[in-house]
Amino acid sequence: MYDGPVQDLIDELGRLPGVGPKSAQRIAFYLLKLPKGDAQQLAAAIVEVKERIGFCDTCWNISESERCSLCSDPQRQTGSLCVVEEPKDVIALERAGFRGRYHVLQGALNPMEGIGPEQLRIRELMSRISDEEVQELILCTNPNIEGEATAMYLSRQLQPLGIKVTRIASGLPVGGDLEYADELTLGRALEGRRELQG
Amino acid sequence: MIIKRLWLTNFRNHDETDVELNDGTTLVVGLNGHGKTNLIEGLYLLSGARSFRGAKVDALVRSGHTSAYIRAEVENESRTSLIEIELTTQGRSKAQVNKQKVKRFRDLGDTVRAVVFSPDDLELIKGPPAIRRSLLDDTIAITNPEFRAVRTDLDHILRQRNNLLKQAKGRLSNDLETSLIIWNEQLVNAAELIGDTREEFIHQFGPSVADFYQQVAGRNDPVTLNIEADWRHTGLAEALVKSQDDEVRRGMTLVGPHRDDLLMLLNSLPSRSHASQGEQRSLALALRLATYLYIEKVSGDQPLVLLDDVFSELDETRARRLVECLPNSQIVLTSATGTVPEGVNPSQTLSLEEGQVCAP
Ligand SMILES: [Zn+2]
Repeated sequence: MYDGPVQDLIDELGRLPGVGPKSAQRIAFYLLKLPKGDAQQLAAAIVEVKERIGFCDTCWNISESERCSLCSDPQRQTGSLCVVEEPKDVIALERAGFRGRYHVLQGALNPMEGIGPEQLRIRELMSRISDEEVQELILCTNPNIEGEATAMYLSRQLQPLGIKVTRIASGLPVGGDLEYADELTLGRALEGRRELQG
Repeated sequence: MIIKRLWLTNFRNHDETDVELNDGTTLVVGLNGHGKTNLIEGLYLLSGARSFRGAKVDALVRSGHTSAYIRAEVENESRTSLIEIELTTQGRSKAQVNKQKVKRFRDLGDTVRAVVFSPDDLELIKGPPAIRRSLLDDTIAITNPEFRAVRTDLDHILRQRNNLLKQAKGRLSNDLETSLIIWNEQLVNAAELIGDTREEFIHQFGPSVADFYQQVAGRNDPVTLNIEADWRHTGLAEALVKSQDDEVRRGMTLVGPHRDDLLMLLNSLPSRSHASQGEQRSLALALRLATYLYIEKVSGDQPLVLLDDVFSELDETRARRLVECLPNSQIVLTSATGTVPEGVNPSQTLSLEEGQVCAP
């Protein structure tokens, strides 16, 4: 245990995803040694992003305005809606050539991390489906256990609504991450999506 | 497959060990506590297995250091590979084959295959079910990458599902019921595949264990191996429904492949409770010999055989019969006294003192 501000910093860093107590300590001491200007730049970047960037009210992707550019684009009204876990997945799918709309859940079901359906943007997805014209909902959560669980959960919830629900093909490396699939593989997985029967 | 050379750096009591091995039998002689078993353990870890002594990384790294390194030159059909393992107390341990990082530690099993005989093997018979499950799963995993992946998934799904059950604090709400359906589906998919694969394996493995038992024990007592898994009668989906209330109350998954056991019957009686110490020891040897044979059959490769101080525990006849059963593969055996049974012909002898290899 350290004194006051140092311990505060370690505690704050330790709350970041994937940062354990040992790493938190290492990063804290790295920051302590940093020139003042660099430290201020880092702090300013964090404040700036919090002030300027928020989430789109519609798709929950990161956005500088209440409605992101993708949601405002009329050419994107193609009737297909791609459900993903994180904003980075939107970028991956864009690279793979998808040109419909997105919905970012901001995570996946993960009991170990205390993430249940309530913590995800599922309610928002449901209301979008009743408000917008959605012909096909493509579940593009990651091809790992949590992503699969999330897709299964959604497909059960969506079943009574009678819309077409598809799941991205499992051609992706199992246990993987959409972000790490190359665009060709991801594009093929998207093309090879199959319809889920409840 | 032959291990040509092994380097151990800051591994247990080995500060800097560099040994060349030949394709015959290497005898490692040294007093207890001087690092013989550590050498065997290092060789075994090259196969991507967990420590056969159940050791955690902290115990494997020489005190005062943060990382231990195990490196080896391996020859597979005249192709040489370099395996490098870094075990670290800080962060994640890593493994590479020819400078390419392997995704899972277990994937090292594609390059190095090994079977270890240890005095602790009696636990295979007498110990808790988890030891026998590991024996099954580790053996299957060596030559079955799909099983390996599903086995990892199973642990992951169980952790998630157990967390879910724990959070329920004994109450089955609607939300929990919906979530359970999802996790049950994943659990069932993984479990059924594991159950099928284990069963298929035991069909092949069981008779081979029985054969070896009769050879090592020198008796015709029948040995039968069965997997004890009640959920297999109805399928896991149904078994989960039946145990749901119990599971919610206790906050954990109570049925499935993670609770199965390998039942070994000797003369129709459970060997765990009814066999004598000598019979148990013969059965443990038979399990290892059958493991060797299985890996050899499925992979077409002769695994490395590691014998850690095995003969000191055996009477002369049983030792002789074991030697007769040993394959003609690369063997590394340790001994405190340096005496080995007749029929074992070391092609080289290494002497270990305080974690250092000296010329004998
Ligand atoms: Zn948007």
